[in-house]
Amino acid sequence: MISKSEVKHLAELVRIELTDDEEEHLAHDLGKILDHFAELKEVDTESVAPLTGGALVMNALRDDAEASGRVENDAAVESFPDKAGNLLKVPPVFS
Amino acid sequence: MDIKNLTIKSLADGFKAKEFSALEVAQEFFKEIDVHDKEIGAYLSLTKDEAFLEAGRADAVRAEGGEVLPLAGVPLAIKDNMLVKGYPATAASHMLEHYTAAYDATVITKLKTEHAVFLGKTNLDEFAMGSSTENSAFHVTKNPHDTSRVAGGSSGGSAAAVAAGLAVAGLGSDTGGSIRQPAALCGVVGMKPTYGAVSRFGLIAMASSLDQIGPFTKTVEDARILFNAIRGKDVHDATTTNFNDAKSDIKKLTIGIPKEYFVEGIDPAVAKGVDEAVQKLKKLGFSFKEISLPHTKYALSVYYIIMPAEVSTNLARFDGIRYARDVKDVKNLKEVYIKNRAHGFGPETRRRVLLGTFVLSSGYYDAYYAKAQKVRRLIKEDFDNAFKEVDVILSPVTPTPAFKIGEKTADPLSMYLSDIFTIPANLAGIPAISIPVKKYTVGSGELPIGFQLMGKHFHEADLFGIGELYEKE
Repeated sequence: MISKSEVKHLAELVRIELTDDEEEHLAHDLGKILDHFAELKEVDTESVAPLTGGALVMNALRDDAEASGRVENDAAVESFPDKAGNLLKVPPVFS
Repeated sequence: MDIKNLTIKSLADGFKAKEFSALEVAQEFFKEIDVHDKEIGAYLSLTKDEAFLEAGRADAVRAEGGEVLPLAGVPLAIKDNMLVKGYPATAASHMLEHYTAAYDATVITKLKTEHAVFLGKTNLDEFAMGSSTENSAFHVTKNPHDTSRVAGGSSGGSAAAVAAGLAVAGLGSDTGGSIRQPAALCGVVGMKPTYGAVSRFGLIAMASSLDQIGPFTKTVEDARILFNAIRGKDVHDATTTNFNDAKSDIKKLTIGIPKEYFVEGIDPAVAKGVDEAVQKLKKLGFSFKEISLPHTKYALSVYYIIMPAEVSTNLARFDGIRYARDVKDVKNLKEVYIKNRAHGFGPETRRRVLLGTFVLSSGYYDAYYAKAQKVRRLIKEDFDNAFKEVDVILSPVTPTPAFKIGEKTADPLSMYLSDIFTIPANLAGIPAISIPVKKYTVGSGELPIGFQLMGKHFHEADLFGIGELYEKE
């Protein structure tokens, strides 16, 4: 179960503006999905270590040498939506 | 040129015999796309300049008598969540509608070295989240075998392109079945490599501990060729590695049948198709053994906790600042975030970002995220134990054949259930391939059925070996 006010709070955290209708719908959908997860309570995981993924359990090391940047600076700057010179331009933090 | 039935292998033979040039083949494919893709909707954009450039290079290498690599001149469809420098990479999201890729993904760099020909970027569920390509912000991709049905997803565009003869082969990405499920529904071969076999650099990240890029092809033989071209260690992806192929005596491999995968709810057509595959493999001399993967039933819950958690983190970078900014007239930075993300993300993306943030939030972390990671280990250990008894595991790919467009969009949970047989391989990091039970011809009216083979870590060669014997029979 998840309440509409919890959805509102989550939306604030993830910086997505939702309409009242969307909040309603999401509370319903997420509630149903979270109910499904309840089945995991049956599983005894008392002495199980979490698995974070990956097929290789080893460190990936590289030579201690200078690594060259892969993306050319120009191309990265080119893909900025708004820029001043070669700097990324953003609106003011405070209005 | 029998364009519909061209394979990587037959194309190479044709080039060698000078039946056609790479440039001619590329032109034929663009004509074909022009006529038929209106109905299918496999492509989001075409990469014609790039295609003709590489086709020309492939022809030049051949004319000069240079070393011709296996994919030289082969027309490929690329899922639109992989970067090809200078072209769009939308991930089928309004968020990236006006973004141009600044560099090549590692898989693209590798294919360019071979002078493979990219025809275009294919449709997907937004940010690869979905099982039907209905979550694309742009259009729905239709199943070439029945255009009232879905092509599957999330890599539905690449699957449909290969099935409809609008590409010889293609690339997709698979986080919980996004290559294997559409491959099964469209009647083509689709393969998810071992986690770490193929670089994810330049793939727009969905869930980083699960994502892998892999091939869509018409034959298993082709899948092996394309996989070999894109695999290997990459300095830009620390999880990648080089490995030698397993040298198994293919005919002596034992195939396991997990009893938990043959339960109620499987469509009779799927059950019949998978049984047909088993009988054919028995005739080929393979021995079978029933095995148990006891934690299978929890895989869906585990996946739908871990994946959204990683999604919510990965998608934080789409903030309306760096890649594209669609909403103008905002007062301050926070408004840029809120408005652009509301405008840019579709319903399924929002759902998963919110769900992921919820399972990671304090107070719920242990009950959901930490718990799911522990059960993930148990699922992986199920496979470790099974692989002590058998070499390869066979199962269905999907519970049903291609479903109707719109049939599952209202109920997210019913859509999620279509990944139930493909998710465990991603959670365990093992390789898995979807192979059509038989050859399905577009227009025959028959809906394709696939079967899945799962192997040990870095034992892709076992899956290819069995698959190649199967398709030759």
